[in-house]
Amino acid sequence: MARIGVFVCHCGENIGATVDCARVAEACRKIPGVAHSVDYKYMCSDPGQTLIREAIAQNKLTGVVVAACSPRMHEPTFRRVCSESGLNPYLCEMANLREHCSWVHEKSDVTTDKAIDLVAMLVEKVKRNKPLHPIKVPVTKTALVLGGGISGIQAALDIANAGHKVILVERDPSIGGHMSQLSETFPTLDCSQCILTPRMVEVAQHPNITLYTYSELESLDGFIGNFKTRIRKKARSLDEKLCTGCGLCTTKCPNKKIPSEFNTGLGMRTAIYVPFPQAVPNKPVIDREHCTYYTKGRCRVCEKVCPTQAIRFDQEDQIVEHEVGAVVVATGFTVKETDFFPEYGYGKYKDVINGLQFERILSASGPTLGEVKRPSDGRVPETVVFIACAGSRDPAKGIEYCSKICCMYTAKHAMLYKHKVHHGQAYVFYMDIRAAGKMYDEFTRRAIEEDHVQYIRGRVSRIYERNGKLIVQGADTLLNAMPVEIEADLVVLATAGVANEGAEALAQKLHVSYDSHKFFVEAHPKLRPVETNTAGVFLAGACQSPKDIPESVGQASGTAAKVAALFSMDELTREPVVAVVNRTAPPLYSTCVGCFLCQSACPYQAIEREEIKNRNGQVVKTIAKVNPGLCQGCGTCVAFCRSKSIDLQGYTHEQVYAEVMELLS
Amino acid sequence: MSEFEPKIVAFVCNWCTYAGADLTGTSRIKYAPNVRIVRFPCTGRIDFMLLLKAFSQGADGIIVSGCHPNDCHYTSGNFHARRRWMAFRNLAEFMGIEVERIQFSWVSAAEGAKWADLVNSTVNRVRELGPYDAYRQMAASSWQ
Amino acid sequence: MEALQKSAREALENHKAKVIIGYSEGSGGRMRPIFVQSPAEAEKLTWNDRCTQNLAVYIAKPEVQKLGKPALVAPLPVLRAVLQLASENQIKEGDLLVLALSDGRVTELSQFSEMEEFVAKTPTHLASKDQEAIERLEKMTPQERWQYWQSELTRCFKCYACRAACPMCYCSRCTVECNQPQWIPVPAHPLGNWEWHLMRAMHLAGRCVSCGACGDACPLDIPIHLLTMKVEADIHREFGSQAGMKVQSEHALSSFKVQDKENFII
Repeated sequence: MARIGVFVCHCGENIGATVDCARVAEACRKIPGVAHSVDYKYMCSDPGQTLIREAIAQNKLTGVVVAACSPRMHEPTFRRVCSESGLNPYLCEMANLREHCSWVHEKSDVTTDKAIDLVAMLVEKVKRNKPLHPIKVPVTKTALVLGGGISGIQAALDIANAGHKVILVERDPSIGGHMSQLSETFPTLDCSQCILTPRMVEVAQHPNITLYTYSELESLDGFIGNFKTRIRKKARSLDEKLCTGCGLCTTKCPNKKIPSEFNTGLGMRTAIYVPFPQAVPNKPVIDREHCTYYTKGRCRVCEKVCPTQAIRFDQEDQIVEHEVGAVVVATGFTVKETDFFPEYGYGKYKDVINGLQFERILSASGPTLGEVKRPSDGRVPETVVFIACAGSRDPAKGIEYCSKICCMYTAKHAMLYKHKVHHGQAYVFYMDIRAAGKMYDEFTRRAIEEDHVQYIRGRVSRIYERNGKLIVQGADTLLNAMPVEIEADLVVLATAGVANEGAEALAQKLHVSYDSHKFFVEAHPKLRPVETNTAGVFLAGACQSPKDIPESVGQASGTAAKVAALFSMDELTREPVVAVVNRTAPPLYSTCVGCFLCQSACPYQAIEREEIKNRNGQVVKTIAKVNPGLCQGCGTCVAFCRSKSIDLQGYTHEQVYAEVMELLS
Repeated sequence: MSEFEPKIVAFVCNWCTYAGADLTGTSRIKYAPNVRIVRFPCTGRIDFMLLLKAFSQGADGIIVSGCHPNDCHYTSGNFHARRRWMAFRNLAEFMGIEVERIQFSWVSAAEGAKWADLVNSTVNRVRELGPYDAYRQMAASSWQ
Repeated sequence: MEALQKSAREALENHKAKVIIGYSEGSGGRMRPIFVQSPAEAEKLTWNDRCTQNLAVYIAKPEVQKLGKPALVAPLPVLRAVLQLASENQIKEGDLLVLALSDGRVTELSQFSEMEEFVAKTPTHLASKDQEAIERLEKMTPQERWQYWQSELTRCFKCYACRAACPMCYCSRCTVECNQPQWIPVPAHPLGNWEWHLMRAMHLAGRCVSCGACGDACPLDIPIHLLTMKVEADIHREFGSQAGMKVQSEHALSSFKVQDKENFII
């Protein structure tokens, strides 16, 4: 027989002035199964808690209902009180007499009647509560970091320096990401390579980091602390152990006219190549799409010249498997190409380029060795027009958001151009200058005031070619939308930062959600910015939304701290509010019939298949099984299961049924 | 004197509507005391059978409310619930159940005022409809 | 008819199946199922408009499974039931052979992919009498509908023939047998009947192949098949999916689209 204790709190005047608490306590005393019912001024105070503790001991209570404020406020408090008194904390429920009753209704008998109903409902629930125990799951203290850009590098180094193993996976042949392509960085104008490459080397040499470049995530299964991952190591077509990185093969390769990805198509590379001189690892790959041996069946020059016989034409992709406890997604972003803009020539004008291409032109290691020369004829442009918000903040283009980095890098571009071409003229068309950040506004002001970059507030409606010049037609909205026409030699579009191609497929592999622009979604926009809704999967950098370097690094370190905190525990403790598939005596074993329609209803992939075997080891039935490590306790499967074979601990069929029946009795 | 006061049961999710109703309280917005809130982790957990049980036990109206689309604490519980509600509501209507007594809604944790409006408008509508005698009589005749 | 008997005979002779589950003439003008195990018996198989029972209901029965691999005489609803059962992990590829019937022709199908192709080519609309009955009810006022279903469902004495006739009602423990809590009152009183039939229709939502076998099985001729057919038609209209069309398909109620309609939610 249940022995329930009811504790009605006045919350000072908050409940007591509106609800007749004494009458509530008295009414509850008459409910069958209630062994003790009292009211008190402040239940959450020390004397209040003591009152509950003593009542549990004296009356041998089997359950407790605290009728006070919202359970979202004090449920942990009162569950702890129960726990301290030797009562399982999950045998405690709260009736919400404050937020849902006294604060929203006038003082009256009706309000007190409602309070009684609410308590009686919870009494019926708590009679059916079962002791629950927190779920413990072990933690594999290895992190998987996806993406070897600055975010991935920072996260990997921070986690590795905290003493944990890291597996860093990069899709391209080298780590470094977009940052390695940049010339100089705002607002300090220090050289991107100079600050990045030491970090890249540190990654390669770190004893705690295993690096897989030219590799991609194949699959991720499991749950927080216990993921299993498969990584596809794409065939580099060489034996990395033998290769010394001497580079002879890349100089001898006869196939030299392949547009270089690293140089955004502005330079050429060979078929066997290292993307850039500082690449980590400094080992080439053979681009099988362009290599003459793979396309025509002959050549093999690289094989002949290789001093260590490292070339392996027959190498195949390799799948490696690892167990990891956490995943950091730092897969970055990309920028729109110029062909996205019909009004700016659909990408057909060679001298209309995007910001990333201009970075390569400015870069000392770029195709022009840092001299500003335009792509079409190699001449130094005398007039350069920069167009900010190319695509961004433009609902008509399907990109409503601000790409955030363009205002700053456009100012930087204009500034660097002026530093290199002193007599040149730089114009910037902008919508607003968004330069919020430490030393950012000062930086853009410097571009305008010291380097005399001409900022024109307005949009460019059209670009066309005339006599070897690009005619840029726009408007100056600060001069009453006066039409502006500029004869430019080069136009740089600050094209929108967008999600990587394949972001959607990756999100699905990782079971994380993504927004309508395919950026990955954080668990909470303010309070959980680096977590995802899938426990154990974290975000860093521009895969979540466009970010500049300081922000990406900051977020990566934040993520690393989350991972380190996770790895500081040997076991994870989880709320036992999880779904459970019932088990019954043979020959039924469970009322589950294994239709598995619940599987797709589960937002967490927590429902697995369990094979029930008889004594001879034969499978006699396949039923659903909820993985308590993955289940978050939403109960969608429970309401969905036709045979009521799944139940949710803490919100069982019996509990909620009894609540509804009691409310209206 | 004895004006009809409808009994309304509200099935709400913990993360949005329950928290929204908490905010109504913290904001001291008053609403009709006819409603009793039953707390669920998610609208995905709300079994349509419970709605039937509520009517059979004498509820005159029902509110079912959770997180707005895309706001679900569990990512997609509310989307699954929405499909189930659609099927249930159409079937109930086809069987002659007075579906205007069932109000489905999204109330976020920030919409304290919306919760008060939702309760008041549901109470007013059900008050006009009168007690759900048809269902109650069916239940009563069954237990004789 | 002869084509059907010939296909059945061949299936048995060539050991493609151990038993043919088909229809034969019963008593009182009703058709009954027949389990043909020898080629000689194949001549008892028949096929006509009175064959309304959904034979897919037998596939999972242990007594039938003991007979060995079955070949199922399958008009369209039976074939769709087979595909739906497959999508619900109740049968596996190769578990059975289907002798699909359409326009007097018999097509032997063994792979699910073949069955899917066959179903995709065949129109799946409701029988006109059922369609008309649903429309008639939809035109009524809510009070009239309530009265109609009250008077119909009150007659039910819970023999559960509808459940036994439905190939989708294969649960080993039906919710009506749950007593902790007692979701559905046991007696065949108005409330117990009401909740049972409403729940049955909801449990078939997105799964019903609209064969009408439940209604045909009802000894009191209560048109309960209209409930499941109506739910299924609504789901098809709202979500675009139909039960029993593909093995690898998302079940209508355990999947969703962000843009699903919600004009009834405020």
